[in-house]
Amino acid sequence: MKSNGSWLSTLNPSCKLIAHLLVMFLLMGISDPVITLCLWLLAVVIGITLGGWRLSYLLRRLLPYTLFFVLIFWMLAAFGKGEHVLWQWAWFRITEESMNNGLTIGLRMLGFVTYGLLFTSTTDLTALMMSLIHQLRLSPKWAYGMLAGFRFIPLFQSELQQMKSAHKIRGYKQKNSWKAFARYALPLFTQGIRKSERIAVAMEARGFTGTRDRTYYLTPVMTGKDWIYAASLLLAAGCIAWLLPW
Amino acid sequence: MQWQLGCKELSVGFDHQEETVQVLDRITLSITRGEKVLILGPSGSGKSTLLSALSGIIPDHVEAEVEGEIYRQEACGVMFQDPDTQFCMLHVDEEIAFSLENRRVPRGEMDGIIRQVMQMVGLQLEPHTPIDTLSGGMKQRLALACLLALEPDVLFFDEPTAQLDPVSRRDVFRLLREVAGKTGQTMVFVEHVLDGCIEWMDRVILLDRHGQIIADGEPAHIVTHYRQQMEEAGIWLPRLFPYSWQEVVNDPSHPLADVLRRELGERMERDRQASLSSSAASSIHTLSANVSAANAAVIIQTDQLSIGYRKRPVMQQINLSLPAGEWIAITGQNGSGKSTFLKSLLRLEPLLSGRIMLQGKELRKWPDRDLYAQAGFVFQNPELQFVTDTVYDEIAFGGRQRGWPEELLREKTVQLLQEFGLEDYQDQHPFTLSLGQKRRLSVATMLLFDQELLLLDEPTFGQDARTAAELIRRLKQRQQQGTTIIMVTHDMDLVDEHADRLILFRQGEVAYDGTPYRLFTDQKLLQDSAIIAPLHYRLNHQREERGII
Repeated sequence: MKSNGSWLSTLNPSCKLIAHLLVMFLLMGISDPVITLCLWLLAVVIGITLGGWRLSYLLRRLLPYTLFFVLIFWMLAAFGKGEHVLWQWAWFRITEESMNNGLTIGLRMLGFVTYGLLFTSTTDLTALMMSLIHQLRLSPKWAYGMLAGFRFIPLFQSELQQMKSAHKIRGYKQKNSWKAFARYALPLFTQGIRKSERIAVAMEARGFTGTRDRTYYLTPVMTGKDWIYAASLLLAAGCIAWLLPW
Repeated sequence: MQWQLGCKELSVGFDHQEETVQVLDRITLSITRGEKVLILGPSGSGKSTLLSALSGIIPDHVEAEVEGEIYRQEACGVMFQDPDTQFCMLHVDEEIAFSLENRRVPRGEMDGIIRQVMQMVGLQLEPHTPIDTLSGGMKQRLALACLLALEPDVLFFDEPTAQLDPVSRRDVFRLLREVAGKTGQTMVFVEHVLDGCIEWMDRVILLDRHGQIIADGEPAHIVTHYRQQMEEAGIWLPRLFPYSWQEVVNDPSHPLADVLRRELGERMERDRQASLSSSAASSIHTLSANVSAANAAVIIQTDQLSIGYRKRPVMQQINLSLPAGEWIAITGQNGSGKSTFLKSLLRLEPLLSGRIMLQGKELRKWPDRDLYAQAGFVFQNPELQFVTDTVYDEIAFGGRQRGWPEELLREKTVQLLQEFGLEDYQDQHPFTLSLGQKRRLSVATMLLFDQELLLLDEPTFGQDARTAAELIRRLKQRQQQGTTIIMVTHDMDLVDEHADRLILFRQGEVAYDGTPYRLFTDQKLLQDSAIIAPLHYRLNHQREERGII
């Protein structure tokens, strides 16, 4: 998670997060494919105009999900129930209702992913944590702890890679992926615990207490444009959801 | 004299499975303001525990049974050995600011202090640099910057260079010495590598295995009078200290100079013999033109090989031909592609282009089963390569996978357990072994099929002198039985003593491929590739320059 220098990345992370979550909730309550499509398009338009997205970036990020989208759509559409049969062949039976259903669920998922991406691609992780402390009153203990935890992710990846290589050399064949998972999980977990203990000691040795009794290098604040963004986004989404049917 | 730190009759124990393991036993000591103290001892002697107790980590942040009195300062900073587990932020400036935030320094003063401490530790970077792009040595500089930002009265160092390569280690020690000179802070060290730090210590405290002080005095005195105890403790003894470089260079009859000269003579002789035998081999080759015999002697050949991360090449056009039975060392700076090369030799990394021939057959065409019966790979972190729950099973694993009869398996496994000194631990879980034992086990598991080729990624990294020497001794035995050993390492003394051949990776190409002796006597190459030659070569060079010889 890094800021990408766009207008959207200058906004207050907490405010942005809440606004996006609200739109996602709205998406959950809508069962009309056209409205869902419009809400998804809204995210794409924001991304391109305010989020610094290029078309190539958008395609690269969303393409894997589009495949998933087609799959879900087909599953729901071809095997769903309903009265008005549109097309039938062997055991595939597409009805108007199942078609609607498939499109809505598929688009809803796409919408979720896009709003999520709109947030993660424009938000700096440190700024988010600091904003959670200041605007949402999260305890520094949790915020700094999570930041420290994030540093583990690339480390985990390289360790997992090494374990896979080692198993390959030793002739270990993973027939059952759950068993393989359990085998990899224990050493990774042990290492993870040991590392997090060390980090915790290092942090405390530097005077970290986890309380709010401290100063801050970064102090995100709420400004006018944050309110404007949140209000306009919600207004636009609301208009689409309630006015479009008429 | 003003006391600043100290303890009286201090005993510390840890609760472990319902009994208390005593680590420190009635330690009494006092440290005055500005003193530089080095604590030494074998692993398990409680030297880190003593440091933790003096710095307040025990019992404030780590639970332990503490008896006796401790006098300590409120404002301390502690630097740990693992560069990756002492940071909690993502960028350099935020990390230093974290120290300041904890001290409740007002935001307005932060930028100035951050700039100031970064300058003090020689971090010439844009402050908002991601920490994960820094090398190990740079991370330790940052760690020091974070400590200085705490404005501590006392600085503690728990093996600060254990995870660094020799060049970074030298740089970090130089920096610490410089900072010590400027600030006059009290510094307490735990280290097991003495070159680079013992020269400027005021005092050395030596602990024994039972957590008792056996010596406490001036460094020169301790190093000369307690040499044997230090060797047993696995401390990497200083090569020069208590003598100074000037002394040894200027005095032709200096005892140490004599030793070094003899060492150099040995290396020279070995190099001469190696070149004799290789020219003999090549003349036989041209005379008899027996191509297949010459091929049999080559275990690995690379042909126009390119390797890299993802699509980006790191090394291109590698054309190497590695003879069977030799001890081959590969060195180069971090990120030069040496580990990737080693992995690609066993298909653990994809090739970008070119090909590798193993025993005359293309690597791609080897079935997994045969390939890994011919060659073993020892990873840097042994824990990540263990696959079973006991030491015995760990060694026997490969045979079980191949359905070996139980007697044969037993015989081979017991033989390996004995060879690597692990027979007493055969029912233990591999994770419960000591660091040195884990390393030996990881090598033993790769030899069940009498592999002809053994690849090792920095096998002595982070180990103490004794466990490293023991591992090397066993590898040497294997080599004498015909195993080819290829290792990636930064340790030039190890290379000088054992390797038949040294390959240097630099800026995407093979910058050197030949005997270690020739590289260590080539001043220009040494300088260009930031390699510190072993002491006897340096002495010889210095004397030649001054015309003493």
